[in-house]
Amino acid sequence: MAERKIRWRKLFRSLHRDIGYAVAALTLAYSISGIAVNHIEDWNPNYTFANTKIDVGGLPVGDYQAMQEHVVQALKLNPKAVKGHFMETETLFRVFLVNTEEVSVDITTGKGLFKQVKTRTGLYEINALHLNSIKGIWTWVADIFALMLIILVLTGVLMMKGKRGITGRGKWFIASGLAVPLVFIWYMVAGA
Amino acid sequence: MFRIQILSALTFASLTVAASACDKGPQTGTPDPAAKAGETNAKTPAAEAATPTSASAEKGDVYGAGVSEMPTVAISEIIADPEAFDGKTVQVEGMVTDVCAKRGCWIEMAGQAPGEKARFKVNDGEMVFPMSAKGKSAVAQGKIVAQKLSLEDTRAMEEHYAKESGREFDPETITEGKTVFRIEGTGAVIRD
Repeated sequence: MAERKIRWRKLFRSLHRDIGYAVAALTLAYSISGIAVNHIEDWNPNYTFANTKIDVGGLPVGDYQAMQEHVVQALKLNPKAVKGHFMETETLFRVFLVNTEEVSVDITTGKGLFKQVKTRTGLYEINALHLNSIKGIWTWVADIFALMLIILVLTGVLMMKGKRGITGRGKWFIASGLAVPLVFIWYMVAGA
Repeated sequence: MFRIQILSALTFASLTVAASACDKGPQTGTPDPAAKAGETNAKTPAAEAATPTSASAEKGDVYGAGVSEMPTVAISEIIADPEAFDGKTVQVEGMVTDVCAKRGCWIEMAGQAPGEKARFKVNDGEMVFPMSAKGKSAVAQGKIVAQKLSLEDTRAMEEHYAKESGREFDPETITEGKTVFRIEGTGAVIRD
């Protein structure tokens, strides 16, 4: 019986194509998140912040619960939206509300800020996946995804032969891709 | 060709798992049986200066290793003499007053008197606290690390903390160096 010959390059092409389709969404998501969190010192990739100046007038002295009620009434807030309060300093009184809102008021002047924090819809979720802050089963999913990326790279590198393959111009592309991180590692080690 | 179909099927199956895990959302901590223990311990009465509204003992998001069954230490007790607790593992309870807005790598918890706070710090990525934790009741466990700071260092630290949590800071409000402490966290339970 004739032995069936495996056509490796055809197999690599097929794998590369199908795995490429499968990881397209998550690769894009991780790339976008990567850019977003790379610049975390310049902007917040998860939240937006909005502060509105307020004036609640004179507050009752000494009784924190009464102060909280005064703030709620002055700003016409829903009393059920209050999560708690905190006397931050001798003059700064804070009332925490649902939906990550907060009233921060100077008890001597009645002036302060109504603070709102909103999550960046889409980016917040993607960042949570990318940074694996949800842990649990996502760790395994991320591992599988990483394994698929490894297969994607290997099949990509090996799918062509000849002068367009790894033994041809491919080796120069690989070398240039390797050189960039190596230069930075050398710089880190030498600079340390 | 059969092998390719199997691999493709595995690929798409893993993405399906990914999609279902994603539905869980990033704000729920890792499910952990230790949650119950933490909730049982969370019985320190809330103080007047920082009063969360009543939190359900049945609900809570668990972060890291959660909390174990041990007595809760009052934050004011640690503030009064941080060096006495240096190196000790403690469990504290209080309302979350601030959260690291960039990385979710720390929370501040209110003590029993005005202005009293404890910072619960974790390594980046180990636990990620959402901004929505503000105003909620938390039980946290970790090791106390006390450190004496000069006036200059105290101001620098307070400025850094204010910047991280989006607060205004006046260095003149700090007139002397502090012995500060942080809790190097191993786990926490945050209740709605």
